[in-house]
Amino acid sequence: MTVPIPMIGVLPAKRTGPSHWWHGFIAMLRWEITNMRLLLPLTVVVQVLFGAGFVLGIGLFFEDIPSRAALFLSTGATTITLIMVGLVMGPQLVAQQKLEGTYDYMWSLPVPRSAATTAWITLNMIFAIPGMVVALLVASWRYGVDLEISFAIVPAVLLTLLTATLLGYALAHAVTKPEVTLLLTQVLIFGIVGFSPINYPQDNLPGWLAELHEYLPFLPMATVVRGGLTQGLVSNVVQSYVVLSAWGLIALGLVAGSLGRRR
Amino acid sequence: MSGPGAVQTGSSWVFRVEAVTKSYDGETNATDGLTMEVAPGEVYGLLGPNGAGKSTLVKQVIGLLKPDSGRITLGSFDLVEDPDAARQLCSYLPQAQMPIDSFKAREAIDIAGMIRGGPAAEVKRRREEMIEALEIGEWRDVLGARLSGGVKRLVGFAMVTVWPGRVIILDEPTNDVDPLRRRRLWEQIRRMGSEGAAVLLVTHNVMEAEKSVDRLAIINEGKLIAEGTPSSLKADDRGRLRLQLMLHPGNSTPELAPLVRDHVRVGNNLVTVIDEDAAGAGIVWAQDLLARGVIEEYALGATTLEDVYVRLTGHKSESER
Repeated sequence: MTVPIPMIGVLPAKRTGPSHWWHGFIAMLRWEITNMRLLLPLTVVVQVLFGAGFVLGIGLFFEDIPSRAALFLSTGATTITLIMVGLVMGPQLVAQQKLEGTYDYMWSLPVPRSAATTAWITLNMIFAIPGMVVALLVASWRYGVDLEISFAIVPAVLLTLLTATLLGYALAHAVTKPEVTLLLTQVLIFGIVGFSPINYPQDNLPGWLAELHEYLPFLPMATVVRGGLTQGLVSNVVQSYVVLSAWGLIALGLVAGSLGRRR
Repeated sequence: MSGPGAVQTGSSWVFRVEAVTKSYDGETNATDGLTMEVAPGEVYGLLGPNGAGKSTLVKQVIGLLKPDSGRITLGSFDLVEDPDAARQLCSYLPQAQMPIDSFKAREAIDIAGMIRGGPAAEVKRRREEMIEALEIGEWRDVLGARLSGGVKRLVGFAMVTVWPGRVIILDEPTNDVDPLRRRRLWEQIRRMGSEGAAVLLVTHNVMEAEKSVDRLAIINEGKLIAEGTPSSLKADDRGRLRLQLMLHPGNSTPELAPLVRDHVRVGNNLVTVIDEDAAGAGIVWAQDLLARGVIEEYALGATTLEDVYVRLTGHKSESER
């Protein structure tokens, strides 16, 4: 039996409103989940290995790691797994779409772009959790650190992930050339792992760089996560939330700007 | 207006491109004042060599690019001003393969239909019908990563048309598709037209387009250089034949016989146009060239749209390569 195609006659009204948005969000979430199906196990394994490897590898620098350093390292590695998913893996996936030529199809789909973006961000955030948990478990096991996990870890992880993912998303979409995006993610990895006070105290950096990190999002990310995992290790948690929220809003603005952009 | 093949659907809209100009670098225009109309029920071919501006035009229709000037409208919708409406009303099959490595063929079609706003049950019914029509049933549950390029292309077509917009934009839909399924694909493209969609078909395969489109435009260097039905475009060549000469590689173009009315050389392929009543003399001339080792072979036949295309653009089309 032939099913008629619903297109004869007058043009339909444009679909708008919350139910259209929700339908688009669910449909795109389904698309993204299916799309990641092949890659998902590998991605999670890489995340887990990254988190665990990072914790164990840095430990090799020390014969007998001081307990404060162990605590910094354990909580820092946890933060870095979150940042990597949002700020590095996300843009790399988008750059890959551009290189393969599939980006145009994704952007031509009849769903609100904010719904497609929210679906992407939601999935990115879910992906980050396994790596984070494993990094934390390995750190606790290896260094025997005493974590005092409080409910504050929930907003801390969510805000860190959301800000990193939004920044990554803005980077991926605002930079036209995917090759440049890929290069920038490499620079970010280098800068974040080597020169951000995530795995070590801020005082270890030269004065100017330590000062600069007051305004960048990475130190606040580490601080709020530490605030949720330890007691008394960090003091300026409230200020970090303020700085991080500001970065979150900036990133949201950049994403909103990139959504409607047409070359 | 409606094209010759258009179906009277009672539709009250027309897809219209008016003087659309777009430059990437501010100097050369990728599309240069393009104007065209496509009616519901019409399959409209957009022909031109690589870099002619075809893909740039369709990306402006679908809201991926913004024209520097000009209007694109669908009925009362201004698609440049309202790219959300453009995406809802137009379905787009890009030239690149669909990103469906992780999807089983049927899943890709279902989710694409869902994204396009189709009710699940109806999308499933239409999916099955398209899978059958395109003869890709044996790959229904196979992951995209394991599909050949041609089957993937057909799945992509089904994704775009399972719950289609009013304007269906197909950028090189037959790429990689085997000849048998190509026929099925053309049947489905024609069917989209007969169901009332306006189909905008981008291709550089002129021979295929000639058989399947109602009207076509030939675009070169961003400009529309000819438009009409395939037979109207060939009208100038009525009473003429094409004498095609395959030159030995490296040979320069031989001196043309006075009977040659028109000619174009693309690579080692010299296509000449002669009058029908000069056919005998043409063969004598070609055999002389063959005997002197200037050419490897020759062929005499009816003029095709291909000849018009080659003459207008100076390029060979995909179908002649």
